[in-house]
Amino acid sequence: MSAVTEPIGAQPARLRTPYKRAARRGTLALALLAAILLGAQLLPGDALAIDATARALPPQPDHLMGTDLLGRDIAARTLAALAQSVQIGLLAAGASTGVAVILGLGATFGRLADHAVGVLTELALGLPHFVLLIMIAFAMGGGTTGVIVAVALTHWPRLARVLRHEAQTIAASDYVAISRALGRSRLWVARHHLAPHLVAQIVAGFIVIFPHAILHEAGLSFIGLGIEPHLPSIGVMLSESLREIMAGHWWVAAAPGLGLMLVALAFERFGEALRQVSDPAGHIT
Amino acid sequence: MFRPLATAALALSLLSPAHAEARSLVLAIGGEPEGGFDPIMGWGHYGNPLFQSTLLRYDAELDLVGDLATDWRLSQDGRVWRIRLREDAMFSDGTPLTAKDVVFTYTAASTAGGLADLTVLKEARALDDTTVELELTEPRITFVARLATLGIVPAHSYGADYARQPIGSGPFKLVEWREGEQLVVAPNPYWHGGEIAFDRVSFVFGSEEAGQALARTGAADLVAVPPSMADAAPPDMAVLKIDTVDNRGLAFPMGPARDETTETGAPIGNDVTADRAIRVAINQALDREALVALALNGHGRPAMGPADGLPWDNPEAAIPGNDPTAAMATLEDAGWTDSDGDGLREKDGLRAAFRVLYPAGDSTRQALALGASQQLRAIGIEAQPTGSSWDEIGALMHSQVVVLGWGAHDPSEIYALHHGDYAGVDYYNTGHYANPTVDAHLEGAEAAGSFDASLAHWQAAAWDGETGFGPKGDAAWAWLVNLEHAYWASDCLDLGSLQIHPHGHGFPITHDLPSWRWTCE
Repeated sequence: MSAVTEPIGAQPARLRTPYKRAARRGTLALALLAAILLGAQLLPGDALAIDATARALPPQPDHLMGTDLLGRDIAARTLAALAQSVQIGLLAAGASTGVAVILGLGATFGRLADHAVGVLTELALGLPHFVLLIMIAFAMGGGTTGVIVAVALTHWPRLARVLRHEAQTIAASDYVAISRALGRSRLWVARHHLAPHLVAQIVAGFIVIFPHAILHEAGLSFIGLGIEPHLPSIGVMLSESLREIMAGHWWVAAAPGLGLMLVALAFERFGEALRQVSDPAGHIT
Repeated sequence: MFRPLATAALALSLLSPAHAEARSLVLAIGGEPEGGFDPIMGWGHYGNPLFQSTLLRYDAELDLVGDLATDWRLSQDGRVWRIRLREDAMFSDGTPLTAKDVVFTYTAASTAGGLADLTVLKEARALDDTTVELELTEPRITFVARLATLGIVPAHSYGADYARQPIGSGPFKLVEWREGEQLVVAPNPYWHGGEIAFDRVSFVFGSEEAGQALARTGAADLVAVPPSMADAAPPDMAVLKIDTVDNRGLAFPMGPARDETTETGAPIGNDVTADRAIRVAINQALDREALVALALNGHGRPAMGPADGLPWDNPEAAIPGNDPTAAMATLEDAGWTDSDGDGLREKDGLRAAFRVLYPAGDSTRQALALGASQQLRAIGIEAQPTGSSWDEIGALMHSQVVVLGWGAHDPSEIYALHHGDYAGVDYYNTGHYANPTVDAHLEGAEAAGSFDASLAHWQAAAWDGETGFGPKGDAAWAWLVNLEHAYWASDCLDLGSLQIHPHGHGFPITHDLPSWRWTCE
């Protein structure tokens, strides 16, 4: 997704540097994140309970976003589902970033390592993304762990490629050569020279992967390979809503759909802004 | 998975002018067999084999009437069935059906090990072209149900590809089967049962949603719909609601956790549900009316036993539910108390907790698991719902509680669910239940001289005044609900009178398909 396009010459009076934009969007995204996690914590204990007397109710004061076929409040369920998604997204994106960092830095350990990382990355990029995701989740037997592992194992290649690229550039610089000549090990160089320079890319990469992780968690749960269907999950809710939309229960899809879109959008925009700060040439996509 | 494009394409193809000359019928009721249409491998086990005919059949009142058989009788010792066949039965390839084919079918099915359980058959022999004798190794009164479900295949052409190209003496012959999409059949001109009002019948497979979409475009004439959709029929379709013995219940592991496992390595036993007090308390606590409202949208009835309302059911075996006070008293008496104040009962350090497994793709069982779990929490039992694949359920069902469903037109199921010999066999006696007295009653029922005489034995197995598999006795199950099968049927379609349905929503409705009529022009 592209950043907000602003007509040339229509810059507002205060200077909108990429930094400020990133800060603004970051604040928004993190505030949303905090609101979701906090909100889910504050939900009363029985907010997610089924209620046979309140089934399939349209939005009303008691149930702001209505209830589903089992009488569960959709607003509360959406909040809990988003919190769950956010946690899974953080874990999965974190793991994926970890893989990318290890491979990116690993590429500086000699020609063979570099070659291996290069081939592995290109190979992983060449595989159809969602198909691979489904296969891994399926092999793991579905469930939360399956989703996290699947997302972690499928989202690293682009970031790994960027990091490898950057690491190579830095590794070719004079001070690294001097460091090596002074007898520093490759590991020492990776830790003290490469890693600090890559922090910006790593953070931006993480933020870009995060909404993907959430979306793919929802996707996997939607087709029944993700979270167990009675637990709150956006994918499960959307999947269930398919059936109910036919009966005219539009509100069953509205809250989870909008919630997912909002979170994904906020982080997508934050990530995009961060990317422009750290990587104006646009390597991370 | 919902495939809008495929559905739309199908809808278009079904709307195309093929309808012009004679009426064809489109049914979206599921029921696609995994292994094809070979009765020897189990096709037809859950009703109407469509392409083949059976020796006997159930009519709308569930009485047995002849189909291929014109006369059938059981010997005094209950071990030999002598059956006379009608002389005008022909296979769809024009060859006559004789006693030889019947003998071939029964012999093959008894050795094939498919769903058609014929292990009790000792020998099938043809006395002449139209007389068959089936000799059993021991009296088995429920064998008569096999006579009504096993379709006869032709001895001369039965081969490896039979399941995909079935030839039989039934009302229909196969035109085309595209797996996962649709099955098209046409009337068998050689059928002995009379005229069929349709020149084609298409069975469209796919998701529930796809079937509903077809109904809304007018492309399908009969659609099986989930209870939640029952009342939302499109304008020119009527809602059919059919009572069933298609039940759902909680199957308990009956013994304490053991060191041994099943052959596949699945653990056996559960220390919590091994306590009869827990099982009885669950039966006492459950508000089944509420579960019907919650999980079935009100389209069903509470289930008190495995065969509610059928002749072999024993209503005496049930205990009234929706009584949390009595349930809590039962638990207190047995030593299950909430000693640490967390709302959950314990006994000797063991928490009253277990998992309730449900297949993740089944929204009804999910709702039942959630509803039951909520009700049981109120009496201090934690029943943790767990959505799984059938594979995982298979690995856990001997050591955790499972939401299972049964319901058949014949009591042999009662035997398989509760007899010790069936412990761990398929999905039958998952809890490894074994009570010698119950086993003796079940064996007595099978050995009875007539079906009517067997009824008292079946009932005694559920509760004989002292013990039984029912809630008053060992409480091997907590039965929850009987489903109501809902369909949308075109206003023009006359389905005649309908049976009470067994387990399996969809295909059983076709039991009298040949006599359906189209009432519009």
